[in-house]
Amino acid sequence: MTAALSKHFKTVVGKPWIWAFAGAFAVWAATVLYTGGTGAGQILSAALSFATFSVIVGMGQMYVITLGPGNVDLSIPATMTFAGAVSMKIMETQDIMILPGLVIALLCGLTVGVFNYGLIRTLRIPPIIATLSSSFLVQSCAIAYGRGLKIKPPELLAEFTTAKIAGVPLLAICVIALAAVMSVVLHRTVFGRSVLAIGQNSRAAELAGVKVNFIRLATYAQSGVLAALCGYLLAGFSGGASLNMGAEYLLASIAVVVIGGTSVAGGFANLPGLWGAALFMFLLVTMLNTFGLSAGIRLLLTGVIIVGVITLAGGRRN
Amino acid sequence: MVRFKKTVLSLGVAATLAAVTQTPAVADTADKRIALSNNYAGNSWRQAMLTSWDKITSAAVKDGVVASADAFTTAENQVTEQAAQIQNLILQGYDAIVINAASPDALNGAVEEACAAGIKVISFDGIVTAPCAWRIAIDFKQMGKEQLVYLAKHMPDGGNLLEIRGLAGVFVDDEISAGIHEGVAENSQFKIVGSVHGDWAQDVSQKAVAGILPSLPEITGVVTQGGDGYGAAQAFKAAGRPMPLIIMGNRQDELKWWKEQKDANGYKTMSVSIAPGVSTLAFWVAQQILDGADVPKELTVPFLRVDQDDLEEKLAGTEEGSVANVEYSLDDAKKVIAGK
Repeated sequence: MTAALSKHFKTVVGKPWIWAFAGAFAVWAATVLYTGGTGAGQILSAALSFATFSVIVGMGQMYVITLGPGNVDLSIPATMTFAGAVSMKIMETQDIMILPGLVIALLCGLTVGVFNYGLIRTLRIPPIIATLSSSFLVQSCAIAYGRGLKIKPPELLAEFTTAKIAGVPLLAICVIALAAVMSVVLHRTVFGRSVLAIGQNSRAAELAGVKVNFIRLATYAQSGVLAALCGYLLAGFSGGASLNMGAEYLLASIAVVVIGGTSVAGGFANLPGLWGAALFMFLLVTMLNTFGLSAGIRLLLTGVIIVGVITLAGGRRN
Repeated sequence: MVRFKKTVLSLGVAATLAAVTQTPAVADTADKRIALSNNYAGNSWRQAMLTSWDKITSAAVKDGVVASADAFTTAENQVTEQAAQIQNLILQGYDAIVINAASPDALNGAVEEACAAGIKVISFDGIVTAPCAWRIAIDFKQMGKEQLVYLAKHMPDGGNLLEIRGLAGVFVDDEISAGIHEGVAENSQFKIVGSVHGDWAQDVSQKAVAGILPSLPEITGVVTQGGDGYGAAQAFKAAGRPMPLIIMGNRQDELKWWKEQKDANGYKTMSVSIAPGVSTLAFWVAQQILDGADVPKELTVPFLRVDQDDLEEKLAGTEEGSVANVEYSLDDAKKVIAGK
């Protein structure tokens, strides 16, 4: 019984995400060895800063992917851009508007998420097409709304998003806490368990009394809200919302989920892996930049190493 | 008073004469229709480019210089989509198509179809290589080299440089970088100690620079490709490193940051890029071609450069969050055509 339980524990949680952290540590160690030890701490601090944003969108994407085959949210970059542009414009650099700005950004995300599921459910469009086409609509709204002009964030928001406590970014601490909460939600609440159940077998979940449509709606809405939060914080962090600010986060959001050991087929997910994978992705690029390799070799190695880590993580699982 | 009247009168005569001499040009293209085929609109530079096009061409249409000048943008920055768009424009019977192309060679088939239908094709910024088309090209290599010329003049002792490149695999990135490396070869007191790709985006550059910075020695200068200077400055500030000389790329946030530093501690640098208003230059070149002017197939766009002395003036003329711009007139186009 104990053996069976521990085996179960290992299959679901133990093995998949350890590889992302191992990979992150390996590339960090290689970088530090190359530089002869200089900047070891600063590299980690920078990695935490930037991994934070991938983790925020990764959490939303992870829940969506866990819903089962075919579920993915491709509207994340557009939602980030839209929420960032709208909130920066409404705040108009005034500190007093920081909270209203945040609420409006999150509402933008909620709207996009609900709209996405509306397309999927009522028009019966596959999620990949529905979220892709809604991303065009949302991106066009962002362009029409902001005309591509970059508006600066309020001073206080910029300070909050870039603050560090003893070298550790404040925002990273907050998002680690958020990830812990999301992990509890996934494994210990009815909502989280329902998402996993739908991913494992949607029909069985329905027969067992899970409100499949409501849970799916909530999952897409949650992804929209998290993307909006990321857009809001990223605009504060990097000095304003620009039209292409989300572009990097489409692949990043999917990559951190997969490298983090969450099953692409759905039904199995884990939160710690997101952090491991996000740190790994940043440190990998840093390592290749530090080695001074040409762009072609860098991209080639990025691909090879990512495939390697996924194979290691996935191979053990099967 | 009398003298004043005389001046007014002679000015009036001159204006009438000018109008008379210009009339044939206006009449010749008054019924011509020009289309803009644009492959991408998702950043502030492209937005400014479209705004400039709209501003200049709507005035030209109102003045009867051309019958219409419509802008069309594809949604996904894809070659197939733009090729289909060009074929539509051929069917719609435009007299000239001005193109900012998604690819230098993949659109050549559609461009040649247009030429065969008697349509003049003028490409700019993202040029096409089809021999029948005109090219308003940017000397990207020179843009890279000019940065080293400036650095060599202001830092005769040289030092370590960090290079921020654009989007890997894109022709423009290779050209600017080649110019920078050529400049470094000619000024051996400079050494490039690190190179990252910033994708011409401020947040990507910030991320890349923040990653590589801890492993680098002291940096005296940062050579860039535009859109990345402010992100680099943020990364240096966050790492608590001494601020190097960062070459800027005409974005308003870059110029504003430069102005703040200049006021605070006399920070010196320069900024160079292409004005998004280059679309209006392409418009006037198209108008001249339709008018029967003898226009060489290869033209070069002048750079828009901001220096320490005219920073305030250029910054004041740049909209918040946009990019420094200049719109071209018919006379500017004639100068470019004449190779001046």
